[in-house]
Amino acid sequence: MNAVAGIGLRAPHLREIDRDRPALGFLEIHAENYLTPSSSLATVERLRADYRFSVHAVGLSLGSVDGLDAVHLARVATLVKRLEPDLVSDHLSWSTFGGRYFNDLLPLPYTEEALEVVTRNLDRLQEALGRQVSVENPSCYLDFPHSTMSEPAFLAELVRRSGCGLLLDANNIHVTAHNLGLDPRAWLDGLPAAAITEYHLAGHAVNETDSGRVLIDDHGSKVADAVWALHAECLARFGPRPTLIEWDSDIPALPVLLGEAQRAQAMLAAGGSHDARAA
Amino acid sequence: MTPTRIAIAAALASALAGTVAISERAEAQGKMTVEKCYGVSKAGQNDCQTDNSSCAGTSKKDNQPDAWIAVPKGTCQKIVGGMVKS
Amino acid sequence: MTLALREWQATFAAQLAGGGGEGRLAIHRHNISSSLIRSLGATLSTVRALVGEEFFRQAAQAFISRGLPTQPVLAEYGADFAGFIEAYPSAESLPYLADVARLDWALNVAFHSPRLEAADLSAVPPERLAASALVLAPGVALVRSAYPLDRIWAVSQPGAPEGTVDLDGGAARLLVHRRADDATFIALGEGEAAFVEVLGEGQVVEVAAGAALAVEPAFDLTAAFARLLACEVFAALRQ
Repeated sequence: MNAVAGIGLRAPHLREIDRDRPALGFLEIHAENYLTPSSSLATVERLRADYRFSVHAVGLSLGSVDGLDAVHLARVATLVKRLEPDLVSDHLSWSTFGGRYFNDLLPLPYTEEALEVVTRNLDRLQEALGRQVSVENPSCYLDFPHSTMSEPAFLAELVRRSGCGLLLDANNIHVTAHNLGLDPRAWLDGLPAAAITEYHLAGHAVNETDSGRVLIDDHGSKVADAVWALHAECLARFGPRPTLIEWDSDIPALPVLLGEAQRAQAMLAAGGSHDARAA
Repeated sequence: MTPTRIAIAAALASALAGTVAISERAEAQGKMTVEKCYGVSKAGQNDCQTDNSSCAGTSKKDNQPDAWIAVPKGTCQKIVGGMVKS
Repeated sequence: MTLALREWQATFAAQLAGGGGEGRLAIHRHNISSSLIRSLGATLSTVRALVGEEFFRQAAQAFISRGLPTQPVLAEYGADFAGFIEAYPSAESLPYLADVARLDWALNVAFHSPRLEAADLSAVPPERLAASALVLAPGVALVRSAYPLDRIWAVSQPGAPEGTVDLDGGAARLLVHRRADDATFIALGEGEAAFVEVLGEGQVVEVAAGAALAVEPAFDLTAAFARLLACEVFAALRQ
């Protein structure tokens, strides 16, 4: 897929997009919302004829020490086979343990053992889908003293071992860096540019708490200026890639999302000559 | 073939032939026909955000969810009567 | 000593589920609750409208603490909410609430069911049809209530006109089914409900018609059958 801008397809906009077919580089769906034969899936299959697609899973639990849920994996594989999207992704996180599903992207300690677990799960996933899957950097609120490597080093090694792609979310980098006291630009050092397949952008909330300011990745507002700036830095360092605007809480009218996507598209056009993959 | 089956077969045949105006009948009986119902706008339960109210996890009251009991305050106020025992 | 990842995730999971581990871990614990409450509120939207946001949050929290989802598709979480609310002490004053939850859940199931090509029953000789059993379409469900459930549902929808519902307004039998773009229900008469119920048990049409006549002597098979055909309730002849 060319380096174009798209939006996350959300239920409140489904009918409007189906009716008006606005110009968009691509649409991204959450896999878990389309694993039943609902009329929403029928709409998405209709849209597939006119749009490029990305399937973004939120529940595969790549960091689960229990391994992937075979039933869920098979359902996601069926959807991917059906839609034949350009991109497939999930997060560097875990959400299932002991047969219980914690509906959240839970953090991992970045250790050799965790690396082995995620690599094993990714190998199984990529084999089941017969294609590359990209892994997204999560928003972090906690870090763990027994981590033996940084998040970007963990991701780089994951790419080396599994051949996965990277989905780089500048908002998540911004949120994590603030919450854990890291330098977001230094975070970018050493990432394997060629593995980056997609960028995500979203808004976050700023909270003053008893223990200081905490940023929450609520996907509930426009992309913050600081995140646009960090995204520009990603574009300059790694080159253009398909760029997605995500919005999940207080979802606005479609034109607001399209406006954000246009801004992302303009940045891609401006920096289009620095494609690190082509270099 | 029993007379009952013949009568039933005739009733089914005339239903299949579409001789009954369904909507008119439903309307005549005051039965509700629902136009907009459980549709796509309600679907999409899996999302990808951290609820911002989660941050309130640092304050004390959120750690005592059972300290008070909420009272139903919705459209149930439109439901009156209620002598029926189920 | 460093915990192995399995023990570490077990500890983390226990702290999420059971409390303990304060500070920022609470962000994750709260997000799990609030996202599941939001999901249940979408699935059980009429229940939520009836009781209001505050009460719903508390009830849903109590439901969640009895059992987290066992898989990631949240549209499939909440099957036993009706049973939970039936026994939920705070909802005692709303005896119809569990029936509303059953209706919401049935609509949710129908929405996520496949829409098959309806059986072409006109190709079947009527005498054979009368002696046949019929397979109901996926998602078709009969929800019975001692209360006027269809009216309770209607006044609880967004944008419903002002007005009240008399709880003594009579029993309801609602047939939930999938449509092209959504799921919906129709109110059935006593005979129609018995007809569908007995068909659903796998009995043949003439037995179902007999059951309908037994509960409603004025049962009109032609009208009932036409109505059910229009809702695409029948998927196939049972072989």
